[in-house]
Amino acid sequence: MPLPPEAPASASSGLSAPLYVAWQLTNECNLACLHCIEESGPGKAFKDELSDEHAFAVLRQIVSAQVPYLCFSGGEPLAHPNFWELAEHAVSNGIGLKIESNGHLLDREACRRLAAIGVQAVQVSLDGAGPESYGRLRVRGRWESALAGILNLREACVPVEINFSPTRFNAHEIASAVDLACELGAVGFYTGRILRAGNAQKSWDLLAPSEQQYAAYFNILREKTEQHKGRMRVCFHEMGLTEELKYRLKSPAALFIILPNGKVKLINALPFVCGDLRTQTFPEVWRAFQSGWTRPEVARFVADLEKDPALISRIHQWVELN
Amino acid sequence: MKLAQFVKFREEKFGGVLFETRSEKVFTLSATGAAVVREIAAGAADEAQVTARLKTRYSDASASLETDVREFLSSLKTQGLLVE
Repeated sequence: MPLPPEAPASASSGLSAPLYVAWQLTNECNLACLHCIEESGPGKAFKDELSDEHAFAVLRQIVSAQVPYLCFSGGEPLAHPNFWELAEHAVSNGIGLKIESNGHLLDREACRRLAAIGVQAVQVSLDGAGPESYGRLRVRGRWESALAGILNLREACVPVEINFSPTRFNAHEIASAVDLACELGAVGFYTGRILRAGNAQKSWDLLAPSEQQYAAYFNILREKTEQHKGRMRVCFHEMGLTEELKYRLKSPAALFIILPNGKVKLINALPFVCGDLRTQTFPEVWRAFQSGWTRPEVARFVADLEKDPALISRIHQWVELN
Repeated sequence: MKLAQFVKFREEKFGGVLFETRSEKVFTLSATGAAVVREIAAGAADEAQVTARLKTRYSDASASLETDVREFLSSLKTQGLLVE
């Protein structure tokens, strides 16, 4: 009865439900970051975001489907009016819960509450080795506030992960940023390539690292992965977008992306929507998700994207597959 | 003996999956493997209890069951999915 080899995280076929749900609770955010693909910001909540009733109905279905792992993101998930109740309900029903936050709302009381709930980890964005590059990217954001949020999490014994979005003006700081994350006691450091969509599209020339910068960036990350082994996981996604999408076409991840209005996307980097949890059940949308990846228009879009990378700017022009 | 802190188990038609949610690694289980993990999740404290419960549940008195369970549990521990 040997344990079979590890299955790829993409093994969605044959599963009764997703293994991982990434739920963008709201598009509202206290920051307005230059690279934000969701174009989140103050006053940017969708007009049709899920009502309290619908949000809890969705969560009850996630629990019922025995989804093991859930991530609340946004926008800023802590800005959602029902954040605490939703988080408590998820964890008390056995779901591993991760939060992706900019850290600015993580005061001591919030962190104590997150610890009491038992969230698995909070991922805080800290792009840069200091306030200058951070402030350029994170409009309305303050380095000191993000740092304070991380320290408050540590004080409350909530596991911290750091997210770093590379740009033309901060990529050279990656070594110091990884070391700082480790000094702060983070358990993980996550990074990859930024996408030319949403706000990033408007500032692409200012933001996009060159391929030479990316090459140096990932070389340093490989070194840092070894250097910090056993203390902090360094996870980076070097693959370009089209390579990633071609891989996903063959082997879709068992991952739902739920938008603030309850619509479910095949993957964040594609415009295709496979269902709506306001009007469809979770199992119905899961079946639509699985069949959605086999649709010719999805493969065609990925092929077109390879020829014309600017098509990525269409990811918010949703295409309903139903 | 229990599943490691960040490991989640879900039964499936083909058996089950173990999801290590920190590393986001997924392990598929056969129906037999899932039966073992089900007993662990239900509170079986050690290898002997898992084996005893499976023998009762499946009316299997063969010696190979004990060996299979031992090897399987050892494999789970090696992968960091099971802790004492």
